[in-house]
Amino acid sequence: MSGEPCAIIGVGQTHHKSKRLDVSLAGLLREAASRALTDAGLDWPDIDAVVLGTAPDAFEGVMMPELYLADALGAAGKPIMRVHTAGSVGGSTGIVAAHLIHARRHRRVLAVAFEKQSEGNAQWGLAGGKSGGMGAGGIFAPWIRSYIRRSGAPEHIGWQVAVKDRLNALKNPYAHLKIADISVEKVRESFMLWDPLHFLESCPSSDGACAVVLTDEAGGRDAAARGNPPAWVAATAMRSEPTSFPGRDPVRPQAGVDCAHDLYRAAGITNPLAEIDVAELYVPFSWYEPMWLEGHDITGPGDGWKLVESGETEIGGSFPVNPSGGVLSSNPIGASGMLRFAEAALQVRGRAGEHQVDGARTALGHAYGGGAQYFAMWIVRSTLG
Amino acid sequence: MPVSAETKYGPSVTTNTVEFPYRRSLGPVVGGFVAALARGQITGVRSTGVRGGGRVLCPPLEYDPDTGAATDGELVDVGPEGTVRSWTWVAAPDARHPLDRPFAFALIQLDGADTAMVHAVDAGGEDALRAGLRVTARFRAQPKGRTDDLAYFVPEGTETTDPDVVDAAAAAAGAAAAGVSTEPVQTMEFWSSLTYKEAVSPATARYARSMLAGTLLGQKCPTCAKVFVPPRDFCSIDGIRLDEGHDLALPDRGVITNFTIVTPVPYPGQKETEPFVRVSVLLDDVEALMGLQPVVDIPNEEVRVGMRVEAVWLPESERNAEEFGNRGWGSTTGAISGWRATGEPDLPVERYIDRVF
Ligand SMILES: [Zn+2]
Repeated sequence: MSGEPCAIIGVGQTHHKSKRLDVSLAGLLREAASRALTDAGLDWPDIDAVVLGTAPDAFEGVMMPELYLADALGAAGKPIMRVHTAGSVGGSTGIVAAHLIHARRHRRVLAVAFEKQSEGNAQWGLAGGKSGGMGAGGIFAPWIRSYIRRSGAPEHIGWQVAVKDRLNALKNPYAHLKIADISVEKVRESFMLWDPLHFLESCPSSDGACAVVLTDEAGGRDAAARGNPPAWVAATAMRSEPTSFPGRDPVRPQAGVDCAHDLYRAAGITNPLAEIDVAELYVPFSWYEPMWLEGHDITGPGDGWKLVESGETEIGGSFPVNPSGGVLSSNPIGASGMLRFAEAALQVRGRAGEHQVDGARTALGHAYGGGAQYFAMWIVRSTLG
Repeated sequence: MPVSAETKYGPSVTTNTVEFPYRRSLGPVVGGFVAALARGQITGVRSTGVRGGGRVLCPPLEYDPDTGAATDGELVDVGPEGTVRSWTWVAAPDARHPLDRPFAFALIQLDGADTAMVHAVDAGGEDALRAGLRVTARFRAQPKGRTDDLAYFVPEGTETTDPDVVDAAAAAAGAAAAGVSTEPVQTMEFWSSLTYKEAVSPATARYARSMLAGTLLGQKCPTCAKVFVPPRDFCSIDGIRLDEGHDLALPDRGVITNFTIVTPVPYPGQKETEPFVRVSVLLDDVEALMGLQPVVDIPNEEVRVGMRVEAVWLPESERNAEEFGNRGWGSTTGAISGWRATGEPDLPVERYIDRVF
């Protein structure tokens, strides 16, 4: 990594629910941001710049929400910018904020991402207001069928991921879905939402927000001296490609391969499976866990589902994936990517509570969006350099 | 609902309207403010911020807009009289304005508040407006628990002839008689409607014309030899411009390479109620893939990879170009009703299943 080192010294998130009718949109963001500031030991005036991320404006019907939300985020008289890269936006927002630190443009940056799905209807928004919307799952389902065929994975792999992430969510006080009696049978017998995806293999619709406070090397060392262990950003990467073109492989998009290799190279990682202690991957539909394990060359082709089947992606396994419960348990769309990034930071700070992975020192935060065409990733570590 | 311009010679401009009843969560502060409006009472909130400490914000916020610090959340009564600080005259109101007659949008500082709020002033004429003008609030005679229960302001001393509004005292008396709730209003529906016009690109216009005439149209890049459906006038692989000379008439038969069965979710404008199939079709002879296509006369459970299909064209008189917008990559709606099985033997699954849109 070049430039000023970047430390994450504050993480905050809301309690995610299908309907947070108790808070305004501004109140939802402030709930996450206030927690991040408190965690960082800072107050609103200490922040130099704000970066805001959210999915399409049609989801809440607030055009250019960064204007309405600027003063709610203490940004009066400060720089604020909005990021938008579909479902990966929460990750991209964290990366843009990190770049402001790397570039020495600002010393303390607040990054906030959100979605309040209950204000509108994401399926309506994705369908452009027309009838017959496919939903995100309708777009991904054929690609999942293709993955299953080419990898030879047995059908229970998807059910197994769905169960693992919901069990992890029981250890996360902020998670939306709390299905105490989740089981493979229950997933298998849930109705077919987007063939071959069952209802319980799909993410919920959530209201929620996430925030992180990023600072420079001096700020990170100061936090450490105050007993607040920072997460150091070792590498960031973003890539994109068109939604469709002849010859595209949407199961293993080239942008995802390139993004991952760029990330590993920047972080000095040659064997991601061995060198990364825990990963928060953007898995809105169960099959995307093995698909991204393979699609980002964490495992070889056809080996991702075997890692899942062996239980190695559970907390306590050799490569835990989504100890927080992941997108399958909480999906405030615009915030979902930042939640992955923030949970990775919590892990290397040793602050993940009941879903802490023992000895996590290197963590991967990952997000993807659109038609599996936008990718954002970062590697965070418990130590600098 | 898109409404197209011409269809006979192909569309040139399409008009789209999208509408949705968004539901706003108001939160504790604005929710309390809205609840009080039904009683003819305007409220503010006291800031506790360092710089703005102690001042009363109206309309009330959960935070001080200068500092981001939380306000104390306690609503305090202000108004209903106030002073115009600045204004702009709206000479020709449209249907979305708060008044159907010429009016002013003004910054009004209510008595007891330290900040001004934007609201409408029904002043009769522009000449009546000036900075410093004293105004008083008018409320909906039949409150609905919405922000617009505060209808507009009038210059102090104005007789009101509008039967739909009352002054603060009458609103308070009416609310007391009707037993209006004092609990904060939790949510408020906000009807959003957006109409936009879009010039149809030449490539889309050629596709629409061809579809109306009963021929699928694609475009072949001379560099990579890939076929795009519909024409885009560029190759996204090589980054080069293509034109009409690269258009290619395509066969309307092919093979299903992949599919999904969607369980429809209800939302405003959703007409689908039963699970429906969408397939990817790889056309014969050319390497051209069409995504998200409907099927005709094939039960959901019989749809499979490798199935041979052909397009079912609508009768020429029933075809329309309403759905052919610039972003509808491969929509056939309005020309083709779907794809039906030809009855030929299936093709091998493994040759086609990765050809997904
Ligand atoms: Zn080309």
